[in-house]
Amino acid sequence: MSALGVEVGGLALKNPVLTASGTFGYGLEYDDFFDVAELGGICTKGLSLEPRLGNPPVRVCETPSGMLNAIGLANVGVERFCVDKLPVLRARGVTVIANIFASSVEGFVAITERLEAEAGVHAVELNVSCPNVTHGGIEFGRDPKLAAQVTAAVRRATRRPVWVKMSPEAGDLAAVARACEDAGADALTAINTIRGMAIDPETRSVRLANRTGGFSGPALRPVALRIVWDLVSAVKIPVVAIGGIGTARDALEFLLAGASAVQVGTASFVDPLAAKKVVEGLARYCEAQGVSVRELIGGVRSP
Amino acid sequence: MSSPPPKPAPPPRRAFTAPLLRRESIGESYHVLSFDLPKGLIAQAGQFVMVHGQEWGQAPLLPRPMSLLTSGTAPSLLIKVVGEGTRRLARANPGERFQLLGPLGRGWRPLSPGKRALLVAGGVGVAPLLYLARELVAQGRRPVVVYGGRSAQDLPLDDELARVAELHVTTEDGSRGRRGRVLVALEELLTSDVEVYTCGPERMMAAVAERCREAGVPCEVSLETPMACGYGVCLGCAFKTTEGGYAYACVEGPCVTAERVDFTQHAAVGKAQGVAP
Repeated sequence: MSALGVEVGGLALKNPVLTASGTFGYGLEYDDFFDVAELGGICTKGLSLEPRLGNPPVRVCETPSGMLNAIGLANVGVERFCVDKLPVLRARGVTVIANIFASSVEGFVAITERLEAEAGVHAVELNVSCPNVTHGGIEFGRDPKLAAQVTAAVRRATRRPVWVKMSPEAGDLAAVARACEDAGADALTAINTIRGMAIDPETRSVRLANRTGGFSGPALRPVALRIVWDLVSAVKIPVVAIGGIGTARDALEFLLAGASAVQVGTASFVDPLAAKKVVEGLARYCEAQGVSVRELIGGVRSP
Repeated sequence: MSSPPPKPAPPPRRAFTAPLLRRESIGESYHVLSFDLPKGLIAQAGQFVMVHGQEWGQAPLLPRPMSLLTSGTAPSLLIKVVGEGTRRLARANPGERFQLLGPLGRGWRPLSPGKRALLVAGGVGVAPLLYLARELVAQGRRPVVVYGGRSAQDLPLDDELARVAELHVTTEDGSRGRRGRVLVALEELLTSDVEVYTCGPERMMAAVAERCREAGVPCEVSLETPMACGYGVCLGCAFKTTEGGYAYACVEGPCVTAERVDFTQHAAVGKAQGVAP
């Protein structure tokens, strides 16, 4: 394994840099910019059993060092993903983490079973924490029992690693995390966006048509780091960090806190090459410090 | 109405960094920024770029979508100050470095053989239309332009337009040209041998599109929507389509045929949600 290689719950990654679901399309939008197979992997746009149109506009707005989104999980559906997108990703040797969501346990299982029929999916990431949909979003991720039910059901439906994406809004996140671990999750992803809102005083209107949206970007990073830090000691399975990571320095914070890999999210909107630059920055850091990424994980020193 | 020729495939998209070459102010609110890009930006009229100042750091976080005014080795943008991002652009000095991502989206559809172009611009929406007008003139097809603004101060680059087109100006306060909105000048120009291209405030474009529909004249609009990425992944720039569902302005637009855009839905979002006071 190279200095950048890591292992996340049985899945070997060439480097610890993934792209976050909902911020990187299906990975095929980058043809003009770079070869996404250079990344540790990509987490797909959240896939549902049927295609979804998403929420009415306005769907995004900027906030200080961050943004709000209320896309509403618009996606092509698992069938079209398997037919149109996955074969291309497979042919290019991209490590694919399929992010999936449903409004019922049965729905999660059905999507997983459809993916199981295809080669080229390396792990399944369960979105039990979307803040922007009425059903099947965040409520699964708030309740340890529900989260465990979904995890266990998907665990039985696939041979592949199962990751569960945590909501920062669960009351007792450690309890949800342990419930997922006990139900057979191979890794946890933390954190999804936090719900926020913005109002325009000129028009006296809420800025997003959905009123509230998921808050992301660098402003979120200290909160995400604290939660990842807590989770790392709450469970034995690996934690994949997400929340305001846009540079190698940001990634290093999370690796040092104990994350086994990181996901670049909102930063890809600012610069489509952001994730690639994180990989390059980590390579330079490891070279300069004479360390491997694996040696850095959890290596933060106490004050 | 015969269908106009299809749009040519857009050129590849690139991420560039480039220093600001020049900033020319037009009155208090408008600025033309040109960038030094020896490699050259190959684009089509109506395409846009995402622009972000390298000195901005993380605030403003997101790049700003801007229609190209010109492309080539000194691509330029017309800026109207409306918020923090455009304020920073309006203050930028030559040498300051920017990230330019582009060219993005789909430009204007080609003018059909035997037709004349009628361009309808509102304020800062003039940028992609001036680009188009210059291109049409280069093809020997001088366009007619209706250019409207609130007052004489809201008609940036009107002199540039006058150089390449037959220009009709309207202002709401009557300080230049005919008093009123663009529709007052549009009426007599909307003959059966024209094709309309429009960019400006959404309500203006909706009104122009409606008049064109009544007159049986093809109309292409350039949409402005909030967006984070500009290249098809954030899905923030959804617009409601007449066929049902949403399309994304950054990849299917910003220039689209007016028939596809459900302006009633689009403009009514705030009201429909019951969130306006």
